[in-house]
Amino acid sequence: MTTAVEAWLRRNHFLLRRLHSLSGMIPIGAFLVVHLYTNSLAAWDAHAFDKHVREIHEIPYLPLIELLLIFLPIAFHAAYGVAIAMQGRSNAAQYWWLDNWRYTLQRVTAWIALLFLVLHLLHFRFAHWIGGPEYQATIARGMTPFDLTQWGFVDGTPVAAWLWVTLYSVGLAASVFHFCNGISTFCITWGITVGDRARRRVFAASMLLGAVLLAWGFASLYALTARPKPDLRLPPQPDARPVALSPADGGAS
Amino acid sequence: MNDQAQRTISVRVRRQDRRGSAGYWQTFRIAHQPNMNVISLLQEIAARPVTVEGRHTAPVVYDSNCLENVCGSCSMVINGRARQACNTLVDALLAERPQVEIAPLSKFPVVRDLFVDRSRMFDALKKVRAWIPVDTYGPIGEGPVVAPEDAATRYDLSRCMTCGCCLEVCPQVNHRSEFIGPQAIGQAALFNLHPTGAMNSGPRLEALMEPGGISDCGNAQNCVKACPKQVPLTWAIGKVGRDTTLHAIRRWLMK
Repeated sequence: MTTAVEAWLRRNHFLLRRLHSLSGMIPIGAFLVVHLYTNSLAAWDAHAFDKHVREIHEIPYLPLIELLLIFLPIAFHAAYGVAIAMQGRSNAAQYWWLDNWRYTLQRVTAWIALLFLVLHLLHFRFAHWIGGPEYQATIARGMTPFDLTQWGFVDGTPVAAWLWVTLYSVGLAASVFHFCNGISTFCITWGITVGDRARRRVFAASMLLGAVLLAWGFASLYALTARPKPDLRLPPQPDARPVALSPADGGAS
Repeated sequence: MNDQAQRTISVRVRRQDRRGSAGYWQTFRIAHQPNMNVISLLQEIAARPVTVEGRHTAPVVYDSNCLENVCGSCSMVINGRARQACNTLVDALLAERPQVEIAPLSKFPVVRDLFVDRSRMFDALKKVRAWIPVDTYGPIGEGPVVAPEDAATRYDLSRCMTCGCCLEVCPQVNHRSEFIGPQAIGQAALFNLHPTGAMNSGPRLEALMEPGGISDCGNAQNCVKACPKQVPLTWAIGKVGRDTTLHAIRRWLMK
């Protein structure tokens, strides 16, 4: 069995490596940009954020889209990426070159982003697996996404708000670096940028995009955690388990 | 002048007695002479192989041939960096730090002391068919005309001397990976750029699409910086990356 899988992996080596590279851009990278764009609306105007999130929730075939365009590509990219990362041995401490540090950081940020992603999913998408509310159902029952998200950061879990902010800051920075540095390595891998000057230009552009994404990310993180909003309440859950809710007196501000 | 004559250099050398045996360090003290290179340090050690502790030992074994940065055989890790012993000047090393430290390349099996077995690179050249097959000994006329730009690019790629510095500095080349290394990819690019060699570009690209081929490159881009012959290795990797992409698409859609 193992040998059959191994033989298949070896036979399709080139295709799998290219798909790993591609999946990091489309759909995963594209999803990251859209996600951070949606979040950024929270920094401008809670109502715009709420409207946009509700629109997303009304997309037809949403569970299918989630599965095929988000979950499966991320699972493949992560699993195959772990296998790739295990084959490298960083020597950035010995050969102190920028591109060599980028190589190392690309792998370090991959691990951080993966851990953060698991945490993030348990925090918001699958909170009901570990005793939290079912967020999508709660939104469907009328609670505004902005309030609910803020509740998730400030009151929803026994984790202090400052700890959430720290974890999300690290996870955000790692994910954005991994994606944006990945743009420049994607262009090398596929043979889009062959010359040195072209590579430097794409790298500069990708870091510029990274700065925008980071600004979006941090602004929304600020809006959803540090900006206090009094009296957040969850509508009652239909299935028995009461969710402990206290008025917003906790860690933030 | 007298001061200058008495100046000595501390040289720390990684020794290994045979294949697979444990390595160890020895330190020697060598009288400084102007314009020494690392080869001349090793020659001085061979002339008087006595360590700083006064122990008589065997001369340090190393590989070398041309002594002018052309043959690629005297690659070593000198003061932590992969380079040629022949073109590394001792005074430049002493400007970096007071002691000279010499170790064998770490990505190749040690035969003895600083002498390593570089045959994996020659095997790699066979794998990518780094030659132009000629199926006759008879006269076949003049070859096709080549644009000067292509000839210039090919000249840069052709300077490769199989020294192994690019493999040594590559984080993707190690005992856990099968990566063939930048050198063979550069030579595949060289022969694919030749109008006659291009007729066999398919098999070369397909050899590099296997496990350990072009897609195992991690884009650290150390190879081009470490290359003592300024071979445009990252350009070659990018070019072969593009050619394999197109080759794969063509093969997928036209078969």
